[in-house]
Amino acid sequence: MRALIAAATGLALALALVLAVTALGSPTGKTSPEPLLTTVPAHP
Amino acid sequence: MRRKTSLVLLALAVFFAALSPLLRWYAFPRLAKIPANQYQDMVLEAKNATLIDYGSMTAKKVPKITIVQTLKGNVEASEKIEKTAGKDVVVWDGLSYVVGPDGKMVSKIPERYIFDAHTQDPVHATGEMVDGTPVKREGIEFKWPFLTEKRDYQYFDAQARTSAPIHYKGTQDFRGVEVYYFEQTIPWTKVPFPKTMPVQGITPESIAKTGTTRWYTTVRRFWVEPLTGAPVYGEELHKEELRGGTLLGGRDKVTVFAGDVKMREDYIEHTVDLVKSNRTLVLLMTSYLPWGFLILGALLLSLSLYLEARGRRPKAAARTDAPEPVTA
Repeated sequence: MRALIAAATGLALALALVLAVTALGSPTGKTSPEPLLTTVPAHP
Repeated sequence: MRRKTSLVLLALAVFFAALSPLLRWYAFPRLAKIPANQYQDMVLEAKNATLIDYGSMTAKKVPKITIVQTLKGNVEASEKIEKTAGKDVVVWDGLSYVVGPDGKMVSKIPERYIFDAHTQDPVHATGEMVDGTPVKREGIEFKWPFLTEKRDYQYFDAQARTSAPIHYKGTQDFRGVEVYYFEQTIPWTKVPFPKTMPVQGITPESIAKTGTTRWYTTVRRFWVEPLTGAPVYGEELHKEELRGGTLLGGRDKVTVFAGDVKMREDYIEHTVDLVKSNRTLVLLMTSYLPWGFLILGALLLSLSLYLEARGRRPKAAARTDAPEPVTA
């Protein structure tokens, strides 16, 4: 019984971690102030 | 004490073993996405190209034509579309600016490309356009999806404003990176004139009155890194012609542009380096961590079982070592 509880705890923690990380996602940031180029850049 | 430790190890074993598939098949498809605020530029060149001289309406050889392509993620527009689309959306405002050998503008075509940040499937919303004309894209443009497959894709052609298959033609090595080679041929197709013409006073409407039409064909080649779906190199064998009408002074056709357009060397190096580092991140999520967690889970489970067995042994041993009862 205790082994079953330990396994369930591990599974629940893994699920919680993955769900939390995916729910957080990544910040969208802001639109770059750089213009659409109309001159040839010297380098990347 | 040993039994407690073995239970903790069992919980950790299940934790890591469960994390392995969850990371690969649940977290990765949700975390891997094109950032909405991405900004990138690209320079392509066509050396020894043919270009029309609008003054004399004749085709001339020029040493070099340069194409500057910029893609800029419009975060405000993507957030607005996400509200109705209900998914992560990227809006790329793009500009293909072609510069002649004299440094003057040859053509400029703006675009707005809207797509799903995870799958690269097109998203149709107000504002999707090429050169100010609304379009409805099918398939991909500029970038392939993450974990690109060895199959044909529909690729949007901004000149023809339609999609056509781009064929998978094999796996190659490009500067130390394994890439999938794709090729698309657009046969001679009548296409609209750009809204901004290089000569003042000439507009698409004024050309249309002369009866002259613009035709285009291209062979488009991409070398795509399959994990990130990012092209590391691209080429286009591009030809444009003016056909018929009074503008050509009795001639059937005049070449507007003909050339082999290739990425500039410094941009190739930059792209390869960038793709190599992004590739490692994708590998971490799809291979290194899932396999690492699975192996760790198996090791922890073995250790847990070993400790459990050790914890039980003394009692069993004590029972077997006890002297047989002697009857009096």
